[in-house]
Amino acid sequence: MSLRAYWERRWLRRALAIVVVLALLAPVFGIAAERVGYTEPIEEAAETTGASGAADPVATEPFPDYSVPGLPGPFGTLASALLGSAVVLTIALVVGRLLSADTTQQ
Amino acid sequence: MHIPDGYVDLPIAAVFAVLAGLALAVAARRSEGQLEGGQAPLVGVTAAGIFAAQMLNWPLPIPGGTSAHFVGGAFAGILLGPHLGVLAMSSVVVVQALVFGDGGLTVLGANLFNMAVVEVYVGYAIFRLGRRWHDVGAAFAAGWIAATAGALGVAVQLGASSAFNYELLTVLAIMGGGHALLGVIEGAITAIVYQAVIRSRPDVLPSATREVAA
Repeated sequence: MSLRAYWERRWLRRALAIVVVLALLAPVFGIAAERVGYTEPIEEAAETTGASGAADPVATEPFPDYSVPGLPGPFGTLASALLGSAVVLTIALVVGRLLSADTTQQ
Repeated sequence: MHIPDGYVDLPIAAVFAVLAGLALAVAARRSEGQLEGGQAPLVGVTAAGIFAAQMLNWPLPIPGGTSAHFVGGAFAGILLGPHLGVLAMSSVVVVQALVFGDGGLTVLGANLFNMAVVEVYVGYAIFRLGRRWHDVGAAFAAGWIAATAGALGVAVQLGASSAFNYELLTVLAIMGGGHALLGVIEGAITAIVYQAVIRSRPDVLPSATREVAA
């Protein structure tokens, strides 16, 4: 089934619109979470047991911590959300196609 | 919930990398033929939605408290079935680690194990058990318990590692307690989105999922 045939489905266009809305919300949530000093239980556990300083990335990823070099924080978050969603969409779509009944039966 | 490099001892990371690899291989094998060709975009858009939702850190104004974000393992398992759910979640976790450095590379297997394997299968199992009484309630319980189970997986890996001083019980209490509370939100989101999908367009779901949810 072609990409065009996918696009003709209203439910899929609506679902994609929801993904875009979530991505647009990412910088808003980012700013709000920063304001309230967002931490997760894993950081609390690290602090309690003295592991806080142990985090040591073995590589530098292209967009560390959902930031884009040269873009101010919230814009980097937005770009990361859109880019990441698109990459995940593509990978999972390809996986889905590879495993689909009409491909595996050929 | 995402473990960075340096938190987990390498032998432990290796064990969980093997376990995650095995689980993914089983999931890929069991997913074959589960979808009709037209349903491949459902896997894509579900994974993309989970990625985007994971970026929304809940700004809970609890002084000194901790927070979390939606993980979506139970949701993926309920919507896509457990095996496709594992693959959808894996695409999210891999992209987070490789592109955005959210979750370390040496602990990619551990992160996959917790979020893409444990959460999906536990969430799906809870949903299947509970749906005969109340499907939306079962979706809520699935999201809640799956998030807590994933956190316990993290706690075991951290608590058995030198960086955390082998303080397994302390880490279990903080991770388990924290995510058991925060998991209520994960359960609520899972239930609300499940209900919205199942009430509006159940026909887009894989037939195996429809049979489970019906």
